[in-house]
Amino acid sequence: VRRLAAWLDERAGIRMLRRHLLDEPLPAGTGWLFTLGSVILFGLAVQTITGIALALYYAPTPDHAWDSVRFITTGVRGGAFLRGLHHWGASIIVVAVVLHLVRVVFQASFRTPRELTWLAGLLLLLIVLAFGLTGYLLPWDQRAYWATVVTINIAQLTPVIGDAMAAVLRGGPGIGALTLTRWYAAHVLVLPAALAALVGVHLYLMRHHGITGPVRPRPGPSRSFYPFQAARDLAMSGVIALVWIALASLAPPSLEPPADPTASDYVPRPEWYFLGLFQLLKFFPGRWEVIGAIVLPGVAFTWLALLPWIDRGGSRDWRTRRLALSGFVAFGLGAVALTVAGALDRPARATEEWTIQEQAGTVLIAGDACVRCHAPGRVAPPIEPGRIGRPADWLAMHVEDPTALALGLREAPPGNQHDRAAIVAALARLRAGRPPPLDAAASQIAVLFSRHCLRCHKMDRVGGSEGPDLTHAGRNGDAAQIERRIADPPSVDPNAEMPAFGDKLTVEEIRVLAAWLAWKR
Amino acid sequence: MFDLPADQPFTAVIADRHTDGWYATRRQTVVFLDRDGAGYRALSAQCTHLGCRVSWEAARKEYVCPCHGGVYARDGRVVSGPPPAPLVRVPVRVNPQTADLEVEV
Repeated sequence: VRRLAAWLDERAGIRMLRRHLLDEPLPAGTGWLFTLGSVILFGLAVQTITGIALALYYAPTPDHAWDSVRFITTGVRGGAFLRGLHHWGASIIVVAVVLHLVRVVFQASFRTPRELTWLAGLLLLLIVLAFGLTGYLLPWDQRAYWATVVTINIAQLTPVIGDAMAAVLRGGPGIGALTLTRWYAAHVLVLPAALAALVGVHLYLMRHHGITGPVRPRPGPSRSFYPFQAARDLAMSGVIALVWIALASLAPPSLEPPADPTASDYVPRPEWYFLGLFQLLKFFPGRWEVIGAIVLPGVAFTWLALLPWIDRGGSRDWRTRRLALSGFVAFGLGAVALTVAGALDRPARATEEWTIQEQAGTVLIAGDACVRCHAPGRVAPPIEPGRIGRPADWLAMHVEDPTALALGLREAPPGNQHDRAAIVAALARLRAGRPPPLDAAASQIAVLFSRHCLRCHKMDRVGGSEGPDLTHAGRNGDAAQIERRIADPPSVDPNAEMPAFGDKLTVEEIRVLAAWLAWKR
Repeated sequence: MFDLPADQPFTAVIADRHTDGWYATRRQTVVFLDRDGAGYRALSAQCTHLGCRVSWEAARKEYVCPCHGGVYARDGRVVSGPPPAPLVRVPVRVNPQTADLEVEV
């Protein structure tokens, strides 16, 4: 080994390199606060490796992107964990970069002669955010699609060059195949190259000037990076790695339904680190929108970039720099407040319960009519929640007449219009997620009610309006009374217009429906 | 006469063939069809703020954008929120031969 090292040293100068890397002199008192840069480097290294692994499986086309990401999470050994690492890596790096920035600002580490180090660092922050933005388009799910729509429209607001910028970001006439390849190229080729170059510049400058060290210089000789600071860096990265692994395995990233420009049941929200900007956009109506979208973020960023020239001279102690720091703190608190407000602002629509019609539809879908074609090994793929990519109008046509769109396969299954409406409603809902579990009794009630009652009665906001709303039917009578009303309405109310169901439903069916309605109070 | 519900706009999904570089697909566009006096009105479902898909909320009788909270009246005017302009009107006409409602997307 020693001879090999000597051979390599003679030809590649590895000993000098090692001395250069490990023997960096650090001011006395350099401690844990100075490990953040190494944590970021560690994070970027993990992102590179997991990113390469993901690229082995990913296909950047609108037809296949979503399916390939789904394959990574369900079909590749360890794929869900891999994607979890890459997903959470973005958040971890954003947090580490922001903490690093806060450290530098509070200790005034950006002062002469380190202005260029500071500017390179700020550009790195932008590149990290650009990685996040281009990265979450790639799965081509609903979040990806709408985040991209909003991003490109924000870019379009930029004065003078807005239209050109939007065209460059979009690639084609609308957001689609050409956008996806563009953002993929940016994510895996352009941004990594820019990142590597700027990290190189940042590190070179950091070594060139040496690190600033504690605000009040401690007495004592400077220490070399190895072993103590290196051990701190390693320990910190180790802790981060544990948190990271826990997040990736306990909170795997979701894959939303495939991108669908027509879906009205989706509430677009960006990744958490863009929620602040998202919320800011709400406060600027009409033609002021450019202020929230471009001017304010631009002013804040320019102010940050100019900090070395604004806050110069004097002590590095924060107590002597109240003016500059209060500006920074106000900016930070504003960002946190906006992010929290953005996170809390979730329209109620997203969490609505499944209606009785949607529940009936899921029961019918699981029944014979659909399963005789849609099952593993049969002519059509099984119907799975979150995996329905067909548009709503196609689904409606297909449910109405399956053979019209799948020619010559089977004759259309029997069914009435109420069942078909229930199936269409359930399919729309199944795009977004799993239905609630239903036992046999609840399934029977859902189908009976949807098939026989919804045409005239409302239940939980759906249904016809010829008869009374039955959402709280139990307030107007007990089970026995409701049972009589269904079987033979005039026996309860001589003027009833409702048809009798005594000959359409069995006694048992009427009994369970009445018991359930009596319970709806 | 094309049969539109009177109490709310009709959400129509219009499909056309769309070419995006090498990728040809069936594009779908949502428009809201509504009566407008004796004629018809078609509104684009794209929010004029930042392009999210607005939808008709029957309970409040308004179009609402789920992204930044833009609200439009039934005729497309901005009621509140950040949108800078009313919903875009899409050309619509009745074909005299077929009596079909034709929308230009």
